[in-house]
Amino acid sequence: MTSIGTGYDLSASTYSPDGRIFQVEYAGKAVENSGTAIGLKVKDGIVLAVEKLVHSKLLVPGANRRIQTIDRHIGLAAAGLPADGRTVANRARDEAANLRETYRSPPTLKDLVDRLGHFVQMYTLYSSVRPFGTSTILGAVDKTGPSLYVIEPSGVFYGYHGAAVGKGRQLAKTELEKLKLSELTAREAVIEAARIIYLVHEDAKEKEFELEMSWISPESGGLHVAVPQELVDEAETKAKEELASGLE
Amino acid sequence: MAQQRQFNPYSNNGGTILAIAGSTFSVIAGDTRQTEGYNIQTRYAPKVFRLTDKAVLATNGFAADGNQFVKKVRQRLEWYRHAHSKEMPIRAIARLIQTMLYGRRFFPYYVYNILGGIEEDGSGAVYSFDPVGSYERETCRAAGAAQSLVQPFLDNQIYFKNQTPPPGQSFPAHLPLPTVLELVIDSFTSATERHIEVGDGLEMYIVLARDSGLQGLDGFQGVTEMGATPEGEKLFVLRRNLKRD
Amino acid sequence: MDHFPTNWGRPRNDAWDPYATYPIHQRPNNAPKDAFADGVQRTQQPIVTGTSVLAIKFKDGVMMAADNLASYGSLARFRDIQRLHPVGNHTVLGAGGDMSDFQYLQMILDELMVDEFAAADGHALGPAEIHNYLSEVMYARRSKMNPLWNSLLVGGFKDGKSFLSYVDLLGTTYSASTLATGYGAYIAQPLLRRAVEGREHELTADQARKILEDSMRVLFYRDARSLDQYQLATITKDGVEITESRKLETTWDFAEGIRGYGAQTQ
Repeated sequence: MTSIGTGYDLSASTYSPDGRIFQVEYAGKAVENSGTAIGLKVKDGIVLAVEKLVHSKLLVPGANRRIQTIDRHIGLAAAGLPADGRTVANRARDEAANLRETYRSPPTLKDLVDRLGHFVQMYTLYSSVRPFGTSTILGAVDKTGPSLYVIEPSGVFYGYHGAAVGKGRQLAKTELEKLKLSELTAREAVIEAARIIYLVHEDAKEKEFELEMSWISPESGGLHVAVPQELVDEAETKAKEELASGLE
Repeated sequence: MAQQRQFNPYSNNGGTILAIAGSTFSVIAGDTRQTEGYNIQTRYAPKVFRLTDKAVLATNGFAADGNQFVKKVRQRLEWYRHAHSKEMPIRAIARLIQTMLYGRRFFPYYVYNILGGIEEDGSGAVYSFDPVGSYERETCRAAGAAQSLVQPFLDNQIYFKNQTPPPGQSFPAHLPLPTVLELVIDSFTSATERHIEVGDGLEMYIVLARDSGLQGLDGFQGVTEMGATPEGEKLFVLRRNLKRD
Repeated sequence: MDHFPTNWGRPRNDAWDPYATYPIHQRPNNAPKDAFADGVQRTQQPIVTGTSVLAIKFKDGVMMAADNLASYGSLARFRDIQRLHPVGNHTVLGAGGDMSDFQYLQMILDELMVDEFAAADGHALGPAEIHNYLSEVMYARRSKMNPLWNSLLVGGFKDGKSFLSYVDLLGTTYSASTLATGYGAYIAQPLLRRAVEGREHELTADQARKILEDSMRVLFYRDARSLDQYQLATITKDGVEITESRKLETTWDFAEGIRGYGAQTQ
């Protein structure tokens, strides 16, 4: 970045001469250092998985969740600054509740990310605020079927079949592209998601991590809930086996 | 403008409460019937509440206000515990209740309160209140639907009104616990006979002063200990059935 | 004399009394006026109303019944409305009184349940919590002189325990093994008490169903604002089940011989 040190990177309210907003790009850097989060949109549901890096053995297992529930049928996985992720999630809950109250029906994810995108974008306009250091994957099964979006620190959002953010996103995306996502069931996708998280963790092996997974599937009754423990165990066992055989 | 019928935020849920102080104990009692008009809403809705292990509050009047008021008093007592690491003394609770009631002087809690327990000096105490906070310490007080039936009986039996002691003798200032409990039970059985809003069940809370023994409470069937203070006050509850008709 | 102490000693109002010509006790009311006060509507009376709700405890949980009628005064206006509403997996709310206020309650409860679900903390609200929440809402609204005009029954089963309680527009609460709102409090409650009291832990689901059905029939015969179509809710350890609308079997043979009841014209 040639313009670094020229003063154009101090505020989100100032463009650099070549039309960039450095504060937003730095926010993107905050995401790149975070544990990977992925989302899979499949035939009958959504699977979210997070490689939650555990920075201290003193932490209680399960602390600092990075997958959160927004509405009955909407889940969110955040990568980047955990506190920023929670702020976005809280706003998402408020917006979802407001959509529910206005239309008296479960909001579609499209409507929700539209509002959230606006919210995140507002933090790229003023010198008094800092853009969110978080990319969030939102998944839902609504009246339009399964849907999956990523909102970036700039406020831009795209819909995906499979999404990956955080440190291992490149490798994860490569793996996601190999899958026939539209033919998988949610149950099968859980196995794949665990495998991908374990695979991308190979690059940061010295660090401990917890696998956090949630889904919205026929088995969960269309609700966004944690993947049942027995299925998580099965997926983790398979992921470890595959990793071991691949390394031989 | 057309005359509009105004919403009435109050109701009367019947029942009667009663408390009597002895020299080293206090008894706080109430029936458990809740009514509205001629309906018995339930046969068991407590009107007597443990506040601390040495203070008990009985409420009577509009049940919703009563429950809300007890909830608020308990909240204030909890804050007091957090601030001072001890239970609020009963005379302080009495003043707190007066302040809280008067705070709603222009939209009163439609509740008659009777507070019973043990003072810091070890004596049995009863405080009675009107709905907007006027209060006094007394030896005995009845309130509620059958107040007019019970209070004269108590005046006669506790204060010995309209009685003349035998020559050269005087009436006792305080009665023993078993006598008081029998008076309470008799009061409620009689009120049940003559008042339609009283009946179903009787709950009597008994607070005993520290170092005062059981005072004859062991002679009663079905007494349950509800708690004790570190200083030695003891709290019991005694239940009796009343007629359900 | 102005009998409102809140007006005493208020500064005079230049708009009404520019030269202070009125003695204090004759001054116009200077109390601050809310310009929109006339536009604020409060429920002074129920409009579209439901009648009784009945509920009893039985061996495995709680059963509740309410008919499908919403009346507009004496007009049987809506004959296919639901007055039993599930709240979460352990609770049913039954409502008599104003149906729009009931729908409002359904909405805030749904909001509450979404919030609780999103917390994903392993706790679920049970009937006791929902009843307490409702009692606070109802009491707060009555205290604002703007009540939600309902009599509500909350029935449920959670952690091995039955729950059955009442709350109304005044915030009054109570619980018992048999409850009835509205006309049911007069007509059905004695029947329910005779059938249930002391047998709460023996009654089977079939027996409970029959008790409620018989009581609903008596209500239909006597309550002019009732309907012979009703629903039954059963709450047990297996969760909440609310039946489709069912019809009461009634007989009107007795009317044959009665003058003025049947088809006789003279």
